Amino acid sequence: MIFRDLVTMPLGNLWRIKLRSALTISGVMIAIGTFVAMLSFGAGNEQYVTEQWEKLGLFNTMYVYPLREDSDNDTTQNATLNDSAIVSLALLPGVEFAYPFASFDVTAIIDDSSQSFDAQALPLVATETKMFSQLKDGRMFETDSAQEVVVTTVFLKEFEIDSSSSVIGKQLVLSVERLRLDSAVASLLRNSGEAVRRVFHKNMLDSLKQTGYMRRIMESELSQAANSFSDGFFNSPAIISDTLTIVGVLKTGRGRGRLEPVLIPMATAERFYSGGMSNNPTELLASVTSGSIDFSSSSKIKRNYPRVTLQLDRHTPFQTVKDSIEALGFRSFSYAEKFEELSKFFFYFDFALALIGMIALTTASLGIVNTMVMSISERRREIGVLKSLGASERDIKILFLFESALIGSIGAVCGILLGWGVARISSAVVQFYMAKEGIEGIELFVLPWWLVLIAFAFGLLISILAGAYPAARAAKIDPMEALRTG
Amino acid sequence: MNSPIIKTKNLCRYFKRANYEIKAIDNVDMEVKRGEFLALVGSSGSGKSTLLALMAGLDAPTSGTIMIGDSIMGEMSPNELSSYRANRMGTVFQSFNLIPHRTALQNVELAMFFNNTPPDVRTEKAISALEKLGLSERMDHRPSDLSGGEQQRVAIARALVKKPDIIFADEPTGNLDQEHSNQIVSILKELNGEGITIIMVTHDLELAQKYSERIIKLVYGKIESEEQL
Repeated sequence: MIFRDLVTMPLGNLWRIKLRSALTISGVMIAIGTFVAMLSFGAGNEQYVTEQWEKLGLFNTMYVYPLREDSDNDTTQNATLNDSAIVSLALLPGVEFAYPFASFDVTAIIDDSSQSFDAQALPLVATETKMFSQLKDGRMFETDSAQEVVVTTVFLKEFEIDSSSSVIGKQLVLSVERLRLDSAVASLLRNSGEAVRRVFHKNMLDSLKQTGYMRRIMESELSQAANSFSDGFFNSPAIISDTLTIVGVLKTGRGRGRLEPVLIPMATAERFYSGGMSNNPTELLASVTSGSIDFSSSSKIKRNYPRVTLQLDRHTPFQTVKDSIEALGFRSFSYAEKFEELSKFFFYFDFALALIGMIALTTASLGIVNTMVMSISERRREIGVLKSLGASERDIKILFLFESALIGSIGAVCGILLGWGVARISSAVVQFYMAKEGIEGIELFVLPWWLVLIAFAFGLLISILAGAYPAARAAKIDPMEALRTG
Repeated sequence: MNSPIIKTKNLCRYFKRANYEIKAIDNVDMEVKRGEFLALVGSSGSGKSTLLALMAGLDAPTSGTIMIGDSIMGEMSPNELSSYRANRMGTVFQSFNLIPHRTALQNVELAMFFNNTPPDVRTEKAISALEKLGLSERMDHRPSDLSGGEQQRVAIARALVKKPDIIFADEPTGNLDQEHSNQIVSILKELNGEGITIIMVTHDLELAQKYSERIIKLVYGKIESEEQL
């Protein structure tokens, strides 16, 4: 048989039983429509997440952290994330640049109103990454030492400022408190200088017979001196202030990673570190335990960072960089790695959605079996005639398989259109309600080409499988019996 | 001309029922010569239609052999048997067996669906066959719009369109009146004159004697007599 006959003969047969064919095709159409709408939702979600991550450059971003204290890696337990570590990390193959996460507490004053925030020092190079490209207004700072500052929408919210454009160009006074050794010594001298002098004097003059009594006196006086020192150290901090111009407002929100509300150019921010130690207890403790405590006010501050961000070359596999980082004694986090886990989740999510469509498709396939079996019993004589005219069992089988495949194909094409229509309507409804909530248009339904192909292939495959049994039955019909009994 | 186109040896076809066996064909040895017009006669249940179906390859014997030319039918593969039916033989049935939803032309074309004849050639040959049988005005008619005689002529056109070696006609006049019966058998005789071997089953002995060259009479599945005319 030639291909044209394999299409026209079954088409003619389906046309003759229009109502039955239409009902059977409708079953397939609804099943495929369900399948497409479901997977369209899954694909839309996956695409949305991927696009958001891509937009923020998360696939090229890797975070480096010091090893946890409970890590059993003895050889690398002392590795700290300091400036020299950042240089080493930046030199790793596949790393474009590295910058630390340096944050500190600031008090911000704008229009006579003040609030406390976490501020983040940011090198200029970092501002060129996608992470900081989501500007709502203005621009990022121009140099590392610019007297400029970028704030986020969280900052605006805290100050109850509605218009992001209204803050551009405004002066922002930032101040930080630093703990100073000189204020501690001054306090000691002011409050306990005489007592200490007296203790040491008596200690030198009195006889050793009075040792017990003297120890108690010394302990008491030194304790008083220590209190004065710590009182001066913690309660008389130096205030470092600077006035910066707000040049930009960054969006914050879903999937935008952690951004502090105030972003300051790196070199400008360093002025806030100088002149003492942070009054943040955690930071202070970290400095003490790592041995990097430094009270100098003139030289560059030695700091240990909780996190370093690496911008990776787009073509470098994250695993290569991750291995290099581990070799340096740090641990890492990469969104690309997390995305692999997320992809697995999406696979199971899509599979669960597809399962619903498959159940509908299985039901539709029973409709095909029913239609084909009925068709065969009505066309026994015709099958007998075809066999007497030279049709082989294979010809008969192929004819009936083509007939069921046509039901599947027509149903699949209509079902893809139906599914897409349902997806569009659902998307419009979702977007309408999201718009009411002030959420910008998110497209949760997409119809990628692979989904069209899979839906069509499923429709075709299920219909061929459903037609296999009736076709085999038709092929086995005894021509003489069929011609005799009809 | 006189070489056998079909030869049967010890041909048996039994039908098993619950408690008994029907011997529809019982040890039939016969030959059909190439170009011959053979009539198989006998009363109802004599086995003549079964014998025809066996020779046409539409049924399989219980035992014995059927030779088509030099080939033994029982040794043919399913594809070879289909090819034999598609290319070398045509069948005409008592009840016409036309496909009701197809036109006369489409019914005739159907005979060439399984021998890979290109569609345009199919149509050309079908028109020619229908014209030959005086049905040029009835080509687009469905069987239900044709008379019994016309339907049988369409069936004959369907059988002859692929220029077969043999035409098996099973009671071709069974549903027709005398006038149409004569017309149909005349057509078969004419085709026989063109070299096609005709094997016709009929219970009309008069018709058989008038048109055929040889008559084989079957009684209870056995050849009772053979008459050369």
